[in-house]
Amino acid sequence: MHDIYQFVSGPMVWIAFIVFIGGSLFRLIQMLLLIQKKESFIFSYISLKYALRSIGNWLIPFGPVNMRNHPAVTTVTFIFHFCMLVTPLFLLSHIVLWDESFSIRYWALPDTVGDVMTVLVIASCLFFAIRRQKMADVRFLTSASDYIILTIVAMPFITGFIAYHQWGSYPFFMVLHIISGEIMLMAIPFTRLVHMLFAPFTRAYTGSEFGGIRYAKDW
Amino acid sequence: MNRYAIFILIAGLVSLTLIMASYSQEDMVTVDNSVFTNPQRTPAKFKHDDHNEAAGIESCGECHHVYQDGKKLEDESSEDQSCSECHTATDDGRKPGLMKAFHMNCKGCHTTAKKGPVMCGECHAW
Repeated sequence: MHDIYQFVSGPMVWIAFIVFIGGSLFRLIQMLLLIQKKESFIFSYISLKYALRSIGNWLIPFGPVNMRNHPAVTTVTFIFHFCMLVTPLFLLSHIVLWDESFSIRYWALPDTVGDVMTVLVIASCLFFAIRRQKMADVRFLTSASDYIILTIVAMPFITGFIAYHQWGSYPFFMVLHIISGEIMLMAIPFTRLVHMLFAPFTRAYTGSEFGGIRYAKDW
Repeated sequence: MNRYAIFILIAGLVSLTLIMASYSQEDMVTVDNSVFTNPQRTPAKFKHDDHNEAAGIESCGECHHVYQDGKKLEDESSEDQSCSECHTATDDGRKPGLMKAFHMNCKGCHTTAKKGPVMCGECHAW
């Protein structure tokens, strides 16, 4: 178990971050080149003001009309995205490892708060999975990959929760937790999780068109 | 040898054993974490004498080290001091803060030896 732990917490972390950062840069450059080639007219009216206005409005819970029409998804999606980003970044045990490796030290969540937020992420993933099955319009748009992506996202939180509470074989779940986190990181640029990188551009595009051309709100 | 002499001898040996036991770390089961404010995890499991027997550690200075100018002094040891006397709450130049010092001291050796706990919950068990 020593060798496995050393590998997944050492070289594998480097590989995961290189793939994540390198892959993200690749996808962003690829996207910009594609825009240049196919829709270069967007550069004639893209506007920072309308882009930020649109992004800002879509960050307000229940601000956009579309969110008010779907209160359940809106509530869960905000809780989900907030918790799934903040928990891993501000978890004490993660910061301890940053500190030990690179002397990077910053404010950490109390473990109990991280624990509750982890449960919220897992519950949200369940909600999304059930929603995909129960709602006809969403089911129609659902393919196997949607469940795979949901599993990739849920796994680091499920295994992290089990490892934190030390249920079952602790070293097994700990290693599984690290591997599942690395899989998620590497999956971001190459699956629809890429919306993490693309969402601001999509909003900038739509926001600029609505703001500068149609003189309308896009929220 | 009369009965009194035997009694005194036995009593002497028993009290000597008790005194030695009370000065040894035999009854130590966790690392004292009372210096930490608001610790988030349980104190690390650690049986001093069992550990040293299993690890084959003879010299106190192996763990209770003394560093000078960034170098470990091989013949020196610091078991008469608290770790927190040198290691403050946060890093001080190359000298790690107390929590990091504990973590590195244990995990560093365990990683090299490929033996002993290295993951959080292996020491900080609930």
